[in-house]
Amino acid sequence: MYLDEVKTILINVLGLGDAGRALDADSPLLGSLPELDSMAVVSLVGALEEYFGIEILDDDLSASTFATLGSLADFVAQKRAG
Amino acid sequence: MDSAPGRRFCLFHRPVGTCRGAVLYIHPFAEEMNRSRRMAALQARALAALGYGVLQVDLHGCGDSSGDFGDARWDQWLADIEAGAAWLDRRLGERPLTLWGLRLGALLATDYARANGRALAALVLWQPVASGAQYLTQFLRLRVAGDMLDAAGTQTSTGALRQTLAAGDSVEVAGYELAPALAAALDTLDALERMTPPCPVHWFEATAPDTAAGLPPGAARTAAAWQSRGVVLHAHPVPCPPFWTTPEITVCQAWLDATSAALREPADGN
Repeated sequence: MYLDEVKTILINVLGLGDAGRALDADSPLLGSLPELDSMAVVSLVGALEEYFGIEILDDDLSASTFATLGSLADFVAQKRAG
Repeated sequence: MDSAPGRRFCLFHRPVGTCRGAVLYIHPFAEEMNRSRRMAALQARALAALGYGVLQVDLHGCGDSSGDFGDARWDQWLADIEAGAAWLDRRLGERPLTLWGLRLGALLATDYARANGRALAALVLWQPVASGAQYLTQFLRLRVAGDMLDAAGTQTSTGALRQTLAAGDSVEVAGYELAPALAAALDTLDALERMTPPCPVHWFEATAPDTAAGLPPGAARTAAAWQSRGVVLHAHPVPCPPFWTTPEITVCQAWLDATSAALREPADGN
């Protein structure tokens, strides 16, 4: 349910522009988007924390969280619920 | 420019026409410095076209200046700002000085402004870092994220890295050697909110498109605290990608225009 907001933040933080609009829940992120380097991950995590008012821990920084746009949105939903 | 120990690499942009003031640019930290180079250069040129003499200094251990990154220290950086200000005085005659900083550079500029006797025309803060300790955690996270991306690497944590630093050892983050002394200085530095700038402030904050206008909550809290202490603060939220981290070089014209417009006004007391 957070998919659109997470997508907007991802496009902005990574500077994907119009190319990012085609992303959907099944779009692979990690290993597939060359823009997603370690700096972009940290920047994205910071933007998600601020926008959603959640705290993201070191342990959350796992490859499965950033596998797809859908997995990232699910992760945000879990944090919001928890 | 000489600033013991060694020399600093500087770039001076001569004012076009009558000089209306001096501007000293303080760059951000590590990789953010590289990624924001283009925006800083464009803004420096735009300000020079408005009649400002603009000096960009590579702080000790950064860019093309003397020292390795592992030698960088907060107090040394404050001394570098002082040396840059003195250089501008000699070059331009004593003009009203504006300090302009990005990210950690903005926090450094504010720390200098509050502790220094020199009268400043203004502080221009581009996306200032709110707290040295919080920033250190973010910086250490680069290493954690890097380990995550490198499937063969063993995952570390910011807590474990902090322990290494506390034990007096350097840690390597994204190719930068972070010295325990610099980490400790960041950790114990007052938060931005507790520093009271002695001059008018122009605060520029990047906002995501389609979000509410205005400063995000963290920035708004600091701004309100400053205003309650009498600081003259002009907030400029600008829709703009975070150009200091985007992997592709990003230019945001609206951000540059907003900064130029703010400094086109005569500086207070000028």
